Amino acid sequence: MGELAVEKHVEYILAVEKRKDSFESVVMDHLRLNGAYWGLTTLDLLGKLDTVNADEVISWIMKCQHESGGFAGNIGHDPHILYTVSAVQVLALFNKLDVLDIDKVATYITGLQNEDGSFSGDMWGEVDTRFSYIAICCLSILRRLDKINVEKAVNYIVSCKNLDGGFGCTPGGESHAGQIFCCVGALAITGSLHHVDKDLLGWWLCERQVKSGGLNGRPEKLPDVCYSWWVLSSLIMIDRVHWIDKGKLFKFILDCQDVENGGISDRPDDAVDVFHTYFGVAGLSLLEYPGLKAIDPAYALPVDVVNRIFFSADN
Amino acid sequence: MYGNSWDEDRAMDLLNQLEAILESDPLIDEVGFIHPSQFVTLCKEGGESGDSSEDDVLGPRNTKFWNRDHKLGISTEVLLPLCKAAKGAFMDAMKQYRTLNSLSNNKHEHENIMYGSLSRQSFDSEIMKHSRALLLLSCDFGTAWNSRKLVVSKKQQLAMLMDELLLSALVLSYSPKSEQAWSHRRWVIKMIAGKCSTMPEIITKESELVEKIAERSKMNYRAWNHRCWLVSYMTREQMLHELKKSRDWAGLHVADNSCFHYRRRLMLGILKNSCCKQECDDSSYDVENYQVVKEELDWNEVLIKRYVGREALWLHRRFLSQCSISHLTMNMHGISSQSEQKTSMDNEISIFMHNELCLLNSCSTIQDMEFEDFQAQAMYSAIYYLWLIKLIPQFRESEVQVKLKAGNLKTILHKTCPERSFLWDFLDLNGSL
Repeated sequence: MGELAVEKHVEYILAVEKRKDSFESVVMDHLRLNGAYWGLTTLDLLGKLDTVNADEVISWIMKCQHESGGFAGNIGHDPHILYTVSAVQVLALFNKLDVLDIDKVATYITGLQNEDGSFSGDMWGEVDTRFSYIAICCLSILRRLDKINVEKAVNYIVSCKNLDGGFGCTPGGESHAGQIFCCVGALAITGSLHHVDKDLLGWWLCERQVKSGGLNGRPEKLPDVCYSWWVLSSLIMIDRVHWIDKGKLFKFILDCQDVENGGISDRPDDAVDVFHTYFGVAGLSLLEYPGLKAIDPAYALPVDVVNRIFFSADN
Repeated sequence: MYGNSWDEDRAMDLLNQLEAILESDPLIDEVGFIHPSQFVTLCKEGGESGDSSEDDVLGPRNTKFWNRDHKLGISTEVLLPLCKAAKGAFMDAMKQYRTLNSLSNNKHEHENIMYGSLSRQSFDSEIMKHSRALLLLSCDFGTAWNSRKLVVSKKQQLAMLMDELLLSALVLSYSPKSEQAWSHRRWVIKMIAGKCSTMPEIITKESELVEKIAERSKMNYRAWNHRCWLVSYMTREQMLHELKKSRDWAGLHVADNSCFHYRRRLMLGILKNSCCKQECDDSSYDVENYQVVKEELDWNEVLIKRYVGREALWLHRRFLSQCSISHLTMNMHGISSQSEQKTSMDNEISIFMHNELCLLNSCSTIQDMEFEDFQAQAMYSAIYYLWLIKLIPQFRESEVQVKLKAGNLKTILHKTCPERSFLWDFLDLNGSL
C-alpha cells in the first residue's frame, strides 16, 4: 500500500484553480464556489491552507453574494442554497465569518423553509433533503438555528426514511448514501439521531463495501471514492463504523491517487478531479490517516474549525 | 497577431449558426457531440442520400453542425468557443434584462406601456434564444434554466410550458443525469398541474420518458427519482397500471435497484391508498393489496432462481417479506377473537416462513466454487435469512433455523463473505446460531 502523496495533491489543487481554458472548467464555472470549498478544505486537512491568498478568495466570495442574502456559484449567477453553504464553510475555514451580514444570510435560508418543514433550494421551489441538511448545517454554523422550525424540519427528514433504514430526496425516494449523509447529518446537528434505526441503517451502509474494499452509494453500483466520505461519515455518526473493513478501504482510496501529477479519482486509474480529491482526503481523515487534520463528520469541516466556531471565547 | 476579437467573431458566428438551426427545426429531439473524424463520414452519408435540407441553413460544406431527421450533431472541435460565446451572449442578455426591469420598476407605469412592452418582448426572446443554446452545451447552468422559468411564468401560456418539456428532454438526450433538466420538468409540471385537465396524460408521458432514458443510462438515480415523484400525482388505478407496465422492463434489468425501488414506491402508494379507503369500509381492497405483494413475491423468486447472485433482487425480497408479514400480523390483531381465522392466519405465516426456508436451502448450496455468481447467491440468501431473523420476531422464535442443508448460517457466511464483520457481531448477539 502506497502513502498519501501530500505534496502532489497540494500542487494539483493549486494548479486546477489556474486552468481556466478547458471545456471542463468552462462548464463547471457556475459552481466554482463548490469547487473552492472542495479544494480549500482539502488544503486545510493537509495542513496547507496558508498557501492560498485568503483576502483574494474572500473578496471574490463576497462578490458572489446576491441582494437576497444567498450566494451564487460564481459572480453574476443566481443564488442557491448549495452555494450558500460553500460560502459559509469557506469563510469558516479562514475564520472570517465576521465579514458576513449573518442575519441577512440567515434570513435567506429561513425564507426557503416550506410549510411541511422541508427546504427549497432556491426561489424556484425544488425540494430535497440535501437542502434540509444545508439549511441546518449553515444556520448552526451561523448560530441561528432558532430562526427555523426545527421540529418540522426534523419531521420532514424522518418522513423520507425508507423501510431499508436509508433516506431519499423526498418521501418515497430511493435510499442513496449521499442523501443518507445529509439526513443523518441534519439529525445529528439537531440532536435527533434517535429517529434513526442504527442497526438497520448501519447494515445497509456496510453492504455498500464491495470486494475491492471501496464503497458504493447504492446496491449493484461500482465503488467510488466519494462514498468513502458519505458512507463513512454516516457510519461514524450512528456509531457503527467498526462494522466495515477499514484496512481495505484505506487501500482502495490510496490506489485512486495519481501519484505522479497529484489528485484522486473515483476509481483506480480513472482521471482525477477536485471533487474526488476532497472526498478521498476527507475519507482518509475519517479513517485517522496519520498527519491529516481530523474532519467533523456532520459539518464536513476540520474539527478545529468547528471547535473554533462553537467554543471560542467571544461566542 | 489578430488578437482575441477575431476568435470572438468566429465564435459568435458559430453561435448564430447554432441558434439558426434551433430556430429552423423546433422539433429536434436529440443532440450529440461528434468528433471531427466521424463528422466527415456523417456529412458524406447525408450528401449521398440526396436529402440536403441542412444545406439550406448551413451551406454545403459545414463541418461544425449536422442536422437531419430532427437530430443535431455538434463538432467537439467547436465546443469550447461555442460554449464561451453562448455564455457571454446569455449573460449580456440577462444584464440588459435586469437593467430594464429595474428601470421599469422606477418609472411611472404609463410611460412604459408602449416602449416597455415592445422592448420587453424582444428581451424575452433574446433570453430564450441564448439560454437554449447555452443549455445544449452546459446542461447544469442553473441561471439559464431560471431565466426561462422567469420568462415563462410571466406569460402563463400552456404552449410555452410544453416547449419547456421539449427542451428539457432534448438536454436529457445528451446528458441523462442532468439534475437541473429534471428539476426544470418538475417545475413545469407543477405549473401545468394547476391549470390543465390533461395531467394523467402528461404523467403517463413522463413515465415513458424515464423508461426510455433509463434504457440508455443504467441505474440513473435522477431519472428514477423523477418517476417516483410522479407517483404522488397518480390515482390508485394508474399506480396499478404502472406496476403492471413496468414489470417486463424490470425483468430484463434485474441489476437496476432503482427500477425495483420504483415498484416498491408504487406498492406502498397502493397500500397507503387503500388504508385511507378502508375507513370507508371496503375490505376488498385489502385482499387485492395482499395479492399485489404476493404476486411480486412469487415473481421475485422466479427471477432470483433465473438470475443467480443479483443483489437488487434479494433486497427487493426483503421489502416484500416485510410487507407480507406486516399484512399477515396486522390482520391477526384485528381478528384475535375469532379463533378460526386466527388459526388460518397462523397457518399462512408458517407457510410463508417455510417457503423462505426452502428458498434459502436451494440457494445456499454453492454448486460451483469457480463461479462467483453462485457464491454471491449463497451469500445473499444467507444474509437475507439473517435479515428476516432480525426483523421478524416469528423467525427468531421458531426452530426452523437449524434445518439447513448446507450447514448453519455461520458456515455459509464464513465461506462467502469473511470480510463483513458486522454480520459476525450480529450473529454473536443471537448466539444460538
